[in-house]
Amino acid sequence: MAATARRIPMRFIGKRLLHAVVTIFGIAIINFFLLQLAPGDAADALAGESGTADPEYLANLRREFGLDRPLLEQLASFLMRIARLDLGYSFRYNEDIAHLIFHRLPATLLLMVTSVVLALGIGILFGVTAARYFNRLPDRLISLVALLLYATPPFWIGLMMILVFSVQLGWTPTGGMRDIAASSKGFAGVLDVARHLALPALTQAFFYLAIYTRLLRAGMLEVLNLEYIRVARAKGISERRISYVHALRNAVLPLVTVVGTNVGGFLGGAVLTETVFSWPGIGRLMFDAMFQRDLNLLLSILVLSSIFVVLANLVVDLLYAVINPTVELR
Amino acid sequence: MSFARALLRNWTMALGIVLLAAVFLMALTANFVFPGDPYDMVGPPLMWPGEYEGALLGTDSLGRDIAAGIFYGSRVSLLVGFSSVAVAMIVGVLVGAFAGFYGGWVDDVLMRVTELFQTIPQFMLAIVVVAVLGPSIGVIIVSLAIVSWPAVARLVRGEFLVLRDRAYVHGCIVAGMGDLRIIFRQILPNAAPVIIVMSTILVATAILMESALSFLGFGDPNVLTWGTMIGMGRSQLRDAWYIIAIPGVALLLTALALNLVGEGLNDLLNPRLRQRKA
Amino acid sequence: MAAPLLEIDDLRVGIRSNAAAEILRGVSLTIERGETLAVVGESGCGKSLTSLSVMGLLPDGLEKRGGTIRFEGAILPITDNEAMRRIRGRRIGMVFQEPMAALNPVFTIGDQVAEVILEHEAVSRADAMARVVDLLARVGLPDPAQIAREHPHRLSGGQRQRVVIAMALACRPDLLIADEPTTALDVTVQAQIMRLLQELQRDLGIAILLITHNLGLVAQVADRVAVMYAGRKVEEAATAGLFAAPQHPYTRGLLAATPRPGRRRAGEPPLTEIPGVVPSVTELLSGCRFRPRCAFAGDVCASVDPAFGGRVACHFPQTVELVPGVVT
Repeated sequence: MAATARRIPMRFIGKRLLHAVVTIFGIAIINFFLLQLAPGDAADALAGESGTADPEYLANLRREFGLDRPLLEQLASFLMRIARLDLGYSFRYNEDIAHLIFHRLPATLLLMVTSVVLALGIGILFGVTAARYFNRLPDRLISLVALLLYATPPFWIGLMMILVFSVQLGWTPTGGMRDIAASSKGFAGVLDVARHLALPALTQAFFYLAIYTRLLRAGMLEVLNLEYIRVARAKGISERRISYVHALRNAVLPLVTVVGTNVGGFLGGAVLTETVFSWPGIGRLMFDAMFQRDLNLLLSILVLSSIFVVLANLVVDLLYAVINPTVELR
Repeated sequence: MSFARALLRNWTMALGIVLLAAVFLMALTANFVFPGDPYDMVGPPLMWPGEYEGALLGTDSLGRDIAAGIFYGSRVSLLVGFSSVAVAMIVGVLVGAFAGFYGGWVDDVLMRVTELFQTIPQFMLAIVVVAVLGPSIGVIIVSLAIVSWPAVARLVRGEFLVLRDRAYVHGCIVAGMGDLRIIFRQILPNAAPVIIVMSTILVATAILMESALSFLGFGDPNVLTWGTMIGMGRSQLRDAWYIIAIPGVALLLTALALNLVGEGLNDLLNPRLRQRKA
Repeated sequence: MAAPLLEIDDLRVGIRSNAAAEILRGVSLTIERGETLAVVGESGCGKSLTSLSVMGLLPDGLEKRGGTIRFEGAILPITDNEAMRRIRGRRIGMVFQEPMAALNPVFTIGDQVAEVILEHEAVSRADAMARVVDLLARVGLPDPAQIAREHPHRLSGGQRQRVVIAMALACRPDLLIADEPTTALDVTVQAQIMRLLQELQRDLGIAILLITHNLGLVAQVADRVAVMYAGRKVEEAATAGLFAAPQHPYTRGLLAATPRPGRRRAGEPPLTEIPGVVPSVTELLSGCRFRPRCAFAGDVCASVDPAFGGRVACHFPQTVELVPGVVT
């Protein structure tokens, strides 16, 4: 059965957009005060504590951030820069920060989409199967797997998978995104990236998989007891269709919110996964920024990822309104 | 009595308690079982478990005893996990209780701030706080508390919203009892079960996040943690994978134990939910 | 003579985890083509369970222990889910008690009704949709094309029950099982829905198995009435005969507890209720299960469970007619 699209009132979208903008500025303010907490003056913190920062760099930073001016004025100029998406310059990379992040974005997006799609696909299969075989063997096994995945540090799963699939079996490379030797054009290039992508995407997917499976199982169990499921059975609909169409379509609604949160917060987990697999994305960039104490780059990534979260939440709100016909649009 | 019987029926929770007790025992006895510094060399490097008598679980690339690392590491995991959640509980309960009890603009303001903190990806916020303030046990505890409290606040607020409309609360108000007394003496005890269940799960999450920080090299350099051991063992993945596997299993079992205890407590303390599950 | 449309013979259903607990203790019912059989009794008597057994939709934890169910002379494969699916919705339609909960909130009305047709017949989606609009009009919904596009939460309870009826009739079944179809509705809407069912039966010639605790409803629409108590049929008769001369003490009790227009004027005794409650399935009780609540029980009732003898299952059937003239 096809979901019929609903018209979403502009006022609803407008209100959500306003909320999003306010949230982004709130986060920017948190960021600003976080920086004030750093030991020493903000320029020292931004330049790092390595002691190698040259005076010219420090002076540059002070001028750029207006550190000699009063706090509120600093805050105002900080917010203005965020509003213009002017993130400044990373002296460690000798590159514009916006450019640096933009350059790394595709790799992270590829990892994100692959792992979330994987986790959703397997999570739906697991969650529905567990609910259909409630308290029987398939349910017990799936619930055990979900519990174990939930309790295991993802970076350790990644390392163990490298051990098994790369070191012992030799099926996949141990890290990176492309083989330098392999030609990166056409189908061979796609295959090359896919081989590199497999383990990091699985690692990241496992963590989400645990959450999706548990959430969907609980939701399915609740929905499967409802009257309209009994009515569907009385209509002569097959059990498979009842599970995957009638029940899933309702049980999946709360999952939309969680997937949105995961997509928004993806970078948090990506720091670990991209570090373990040397995946050249924003997570790896963040790790490097932290290692080199490039605080400006670090905070820029934090602000950008928060903006990403806000946008993801906005999309979820709208999507939820579209797929759930009973929700009131206000 | 009925608690003991429920415990027997719920063997997964019993397993969780046994595992958790074992971790606590390791933390308490680390000094006696391994009197030296866990960073000290005790034998030849890269000895597999059982290969060298002086180190039951083997040694790492610098000849350090892995078993000693596991024992001392449990201290850090438990300390960081429980303290950060304790701090998060205090902040979260206060914020959630006031927001839920008073409602109106108090609720609006407090929840907006809570949402703000929830918007920043948890692990990233923890990393940045550690990066700005410098890696030490105290800072790590604070950073994990900062990312954990919003969830507590939302849960407590939800409970308070329901409980404040109960008849006994109205009775207290009519009797002229003070707000603080009602909040902490009357409502909070009734909200305690869900808060306790959530705290066990949060401790597991905090322990996993601490291990991730140490794995990345942003743990307290003065103490040995399971995450640090995994991080340092990475370069030996090819020939001495036990260096990584053993602390990983320790982390897995600890987090598993907390989750099992949390689920068990949920069944015991929330009979309503239990019924719905069955 | 042709076989009856539906023939339930000595149906027994019990609780899987408790071999002693039997909820249906040998129920036998027969429905001819085009007739309306009402099954009445208090809640917990096994009325709904009988209909769910026919559909092969026993709730988890219950099991069929014995007996046969024949549909058009063939034994229903009620334990073979795939075989049963081709009968459910196509040959036997069902209407449930809770119209507010009976429709899936995320799909449109049209999709949900069309689903039955598409599941059982090889027709195109467009044809199915055209039939849906006709059906919605047939069950008395205004602007059926518009309603087909709506989601359930936009409809009232009475409208939703009409949709459920349309769903049950979509494949022109031979039998419609209506399980308390009006209980959850307002009184005025109740009458409308019952009138609709009667009309549909007259026009389409379907048989109706009406399950209800509302004797007023029964008098209005049923050809025959079967009274159930504690998992057994205790009395069965043509409607007029049952109302004029109920023989089982339980039936008399039910009638005495039912308000009907004109009864006070006719000088009938005032409304009374049957003392006590239906015994639970796990309760050990020898002899007749109505005995503890029965004013006419004798010694034999404590030892021998009375068999059903054509009209009634009772050691002391009552033969005094109720005041004539109240039979509707």
